[in-house]
Amino acid sequence: MPESMDAIILKDVVKSFRKRTIRGEYTTFKSELLRWLRGKRQSRDASLITALRGINLTIPKGKTVGIIGRNGSGKSTLLKLITGIYTPTSGDLQINGRISALLDLGAGFHPDFSGRENILINGIILGMTRAEVRARMDEIIAFSELGEFIDEPVRTYSSGMYMRLAFAVATHVDPDILIIDEILAVGDEHFSKKSLAKMMDFKRQGKTIVLVTHELGTVERWCDLAAWIDGGYVRRVGKPSEVTAEYREAISLAEAQSAAFTPPALTEGGGALPQVPSEALPAEGPVRIQRVQLLDARGESLEVLSPEEGLEVRAEFSVEGPCEDVDFHVRLQAADGRTLYETSTRREAVVLSRMPNPGVLRFVVERLGALGGDYSLVVSARASKGESSGRCAFRVVSATEEEGVFRPPHRWLVEPGANSQAGVSFEPGTSPRVEVG
Amino acid sequence: MIRLVRELYQYRGLLISLVQRELKARYRGSFLGFLWTFLNPTLHMLVYVLLFTVVMRQNIPNFPFFMFVGLLPWIWFSTSVGGGASAISDRRDLLTKVRFPAQVLPTSVVVTNLCNFVLSLPLMLVLGMAYGQWPTWHVVLFPVVVLIQLTFTLALTYILAAINVTFRDLQHIVSNLLTLWFFATPVLYPLSTIQDEGARSLMLALNPMVSLMTSYQAIFYEHRLPDAEPLMALAAVSVVLLWAASSIFESRREEFAESI
Repeated sequence: MPESMDAIILKDVVKSFRKRTIRGEYTTFKSELLRWLRGKRQSRDASLITALRGINLTIPKGKTVGIIGRNGSGKSTLLKLITGIYTPTSGDLQINGRISALLDLGAGFHPDFSGRENILINGIILGMTRAEVRARMDEIIAFSELGEFIDEPVRTYSSGMYMRLAFAVATHVDPDILIIDEILAVGDEHFSKKSLAKMMDFKRQGKTIVLVTHELGTVERWCDLAAWIDGGYVRRVGKPSEVTAEYREAISLAEAQSAAFTPPALTEGGGALPQVPSEALPAEGPVRIQRVQLLDARGESLEVLSPEEGLEVRAEFSVEGPCEDVDFHVRLQAADGRTLYETSTRREAVVLSRMPNPGVLRFVVERLGALGGDYSLVVSARASKGESSGRCAFRVVSATEEEGVFRPPHRWLVEPGANSQAGVSFEPGTSPRVEVG
Repeated sequence: MIRLVRELYQYRGLLISLVQRELKARYRGSFLGFLWTFLNPTLHMLVYVLLFTVVMRQNIPNFPFFMFVGLLPWIWFSTSVGGGASAISDRRDLLTKVRFPAQVLPTSVVVTNLCNFVLSLPLMLVLGMAYGQWPTWHVVLFPVVVLIQLTFTLALTYILAAINVTFRDLQHIVSNLLTLWFFATPVLYPLSTIQDEGARSLMLALNPMVSLMTSYQAIFYEHRLPDAEPLMALAAVSVVLLWAASSIFESRREEFAESI
């Protein structure tokens, strides 16, 4: 592929900070004097903190890439490197195209100035020329929906108005590559929809978008690619749903192991999240899960279903050795990695005699009863010699806005009291029916 | 240095809007607004006039005008250096979020104060006319002196701003040194009050502001051409200093975003 097809190419990019800059200690007379009195300065390496340990990432033109990772894993450092605010300690960084970074909304806003004046300053700071800002002024004002407030000083704005104005300016910069840090959730429902639509516009125009966010749903919905930064490296790049699923699992695993959530850059070895077992141990188990699929009642593969539908988990496995003690687990996880349900063949005393090879494990759920949201299913085959697992993600779409964790089979009835004559049974079309699975 | 200046030119839009913003913001919300550009130096001057004509008698004709001629460029210099020292370290909001050449920040401080200086010039001229001192043809050299002062001030501000990022004591040291510097510069008194020839030439050699101030006084107050020799020497020194400043600046600029 010719190089110009890629918007951003990072090769072995390393970024270290001197420790005092991270801890926010400045050199002062006193500290300098103390250091001098204590004898020469400590060796430089000892006071270095490496935030990024070797990032290799290629972002193709026209793609929307979501960057995920826990706090302190180096996401923002990466963005600042791409933007050019930081320079890499070592490694190569190649950018093809005009870049615009929305790392902060309202950079350079002055509280005493009117919205209009601030649009001009902010726009120029973001890299537009004066003429460009003037030309887009009306468009920006219209987008911000501030109406006549646009000529009031910004200090009188509510925080929502402030963010709307800032976002309006930011999105009217016309870059080839747009870098966004955690700012899509701006304003009320209506405005965030508008903001997302604006993002989609950028996407349609073939612009490259790099997005850092903690909202995994956003990544799954809007991004073409996801990159997971962990411990200063790119842990995984790939299809958003797969990357986020593994990320969620690693998080829940870390929580289960009660791994200390210290800032990774300050931890020995970069503080990466624990490896998900399915990744670490697949070769060791006697029974290996090859593929996990979700099927609907008709046997067709599915990714989206409604709460009332049933599903079938189909896991293809192969047997590589003696497997008398194998135990199949099925786990249903919520988007945040919480286990909603887990069971296993042993717990339910399922007798597994004479394992076929290759074989198919079918886990049939007559009615899922989950609420709207993103879920994943993990099937694992555990044995004393090791374990193998596979997963698949799916989404439940519900027309009803319920709350909670699951939807028990239920129906509504209004019945006549003791003195009443007539009774009506309510079964509105939207309410679930009463078939117990 | 060429790169530094070229980037400044590239980002002139940003520079201009930052300067405009500062100029507008300075008096925004105050009742007298823009009038403060004139009122500030006038009040400043009145204090010294009170001190030197009532308390300590000076035998300088048209003393208020004499003082004003030196005071205005001094205010430009001292506010630029004092404010420029923290120009970078105070703007974390911009430097860590947006990419632009950092020299824009100290430059905008110097240019903002230059604008204030230029805007308050009419006041000085009016004061001179009130004393019967009309400007003579010597004012053609005024822009040259201003240019030399601009170069010198920029160089000094760049160095201070760059160092202050990691060494924050500097901004406090600078503001105190400026007071000392003010009295070591012939603003409130003519250089000729210093009787000793040796001390005078030492002052001239050590303090670049001396030749600038005497040049302003020569042009507006004494109506003669400024002494060319010290002025040319200062011009050369300023250019060298600016070159040194830009290399210091260049070598440290990568640290700016990380250190502030």
